[in-house]
Amino acid sequence: MKGAERIEIDRRYCKGCMLCKYICPCDVYDLGQERSDLDYLMPHVARIENCKVCGLCEQHCPDMVLTVVAKKKGKEKE
Amino acid sequence: MNPLGEKYLRKDFLPFLFCPGCGDGMIVQAFLQAVDDLGCVDDLALTAGIGCSAWIGVYMHVDILKVLHGRAIPAAIGIKATNPSRKVVTFTGDGDCLAIGGNHLLHAARRNIDMTVVMVNNQIYAMTGGQVAPSTAVGSKTQTTPYGNLERQLNGCKVAIAAGATMVSRWSTAHPKQLIKTFKKALNHKGFSFIEIMSQCPVQTGRYLLGSGSPQFNFQWLKDHCMKEEDPSKWAEIEAQGNIPVGDFLQVEQPEFMAEVARMNQRVKEAQAKGGDR
Ligand SMILES: Cc1ncc(C[n+]2csc(CCOP(=O)(O)OP(=O)(O)O)c2C)c(N)n1
Ligand code: SF4
Ligand code: SF4
Ligand SMILES: [Mg+2]
Repeated sequence: MKGAERIEIDRRYCKGCMLCKYICPCDVYDLGQERSDLDYLMPHVARIENCKVCGLCEQHCPDMVLTVVAKKKGKEKE
Repeated sequence: MNPLGEKYLRKDFLPFLFCPGCGDGMIVQAFLQAVDDLGCVDDLALTAGIGCSAWIGVYMHVDILKVLHGRAIPAAIGIKATNPSRKVVTFTGDGDCLAIGGNHLLHAARRNIDMTVVMVNNQIYAMTGGQVAPSTAVGSKTQTTPYGNLERQLNGCKVAIAAGATMVSRWSTAHPKQLIKTFKKALNHKGFSFIEIMSQCPVQTGRYLLGSGSPQFNFQWLKDHCMKEEDPSKWAEIEAQGNIPVGDFLQVEQPEFMAEVARMNQRVKEAQAKGGDR
């Protein structure tokens, strides 16, 4: 099964709109407590193990700050 | 910054001036995806007028003319006339395109100029604080219509079709996949393409028209109200329910203006070589 190795959030430009949390079908995000450089509360990747790497959050992010990095093939069991 | 942003955005212009959750940034991304898929970034030339949506093209590392309010289409025609090899794309808002610039839309469509107009419709003048636009529904309360809008709505796609556009589509920011496909079709279409994108403006549209400033609420509103229907005879029914038909509505081939000019020039030259003048 597909999985994400990590999800990068670019803290320089995140405006905390939280559309990623709204759009994600797999409940990966929570509202976090950390602030971005623009002083907005950022999403927190709380359940990376749920991520199916569908790319919806990355594709919808209005500030293009999300990068979903897929696990490399054959690394699933690590 | 995601890889698409790394590749194509002007880093020194970031962050986007758009408010949190604005649809305009989603349109930047969808457009860049289409450009990346086609590998045509070096062929592009962009123009934009004034408004939040007019900033969409400014963030891309592409030649752009940012001009007076409403005048993005004539600027694009100028580029096309002097450099027909460019794929010319105009980013404009519902106010920029249908109000102050409405006349230009009609005549560019009528002449079938080979260019793409991307009209971002948030149903309001967003940048200036939420004034009524030609795209605002009857009865809506805005900053300038506190007792309800009396003017009937102008439908950009119907105007474009009536004026002679040869490709017409409408999608929303809730349809990124379809939008990317349509962008690609338009970039390869030889003639005038009009793409309307229903987009969320949580700040002004949210405040005045939809009653919530939440990006989620405004995004969901588009999901709930934009319905795929490509048959114009069924639009009235959808619109009567307060919904918005989306889809790829029209694509036909017609003689393109700049190509016709080149043909005419050739014809006249040949006639002159024989001693005539036409
Ligand atoms: C000649 C002129 N008239 C008026 C304005 C003020 N003005 C700036 S943006 C705008 C409306 C833009 O609305 P729209 O095109 O819908 O863009 P949005 O901000 O909603 O994306 C107006 C009236 C101006 N800049 N120039
Ligand atoms: S890639 Fe898909 S599943 Fe993974 S976090 Fe984003 S929206 Fe959720
Ligand atoms: S005012 Fe509306 S359209 Fe303009 S940047 Fe803010 S959310 Fe976007
Ligand atoms: Mg507008």
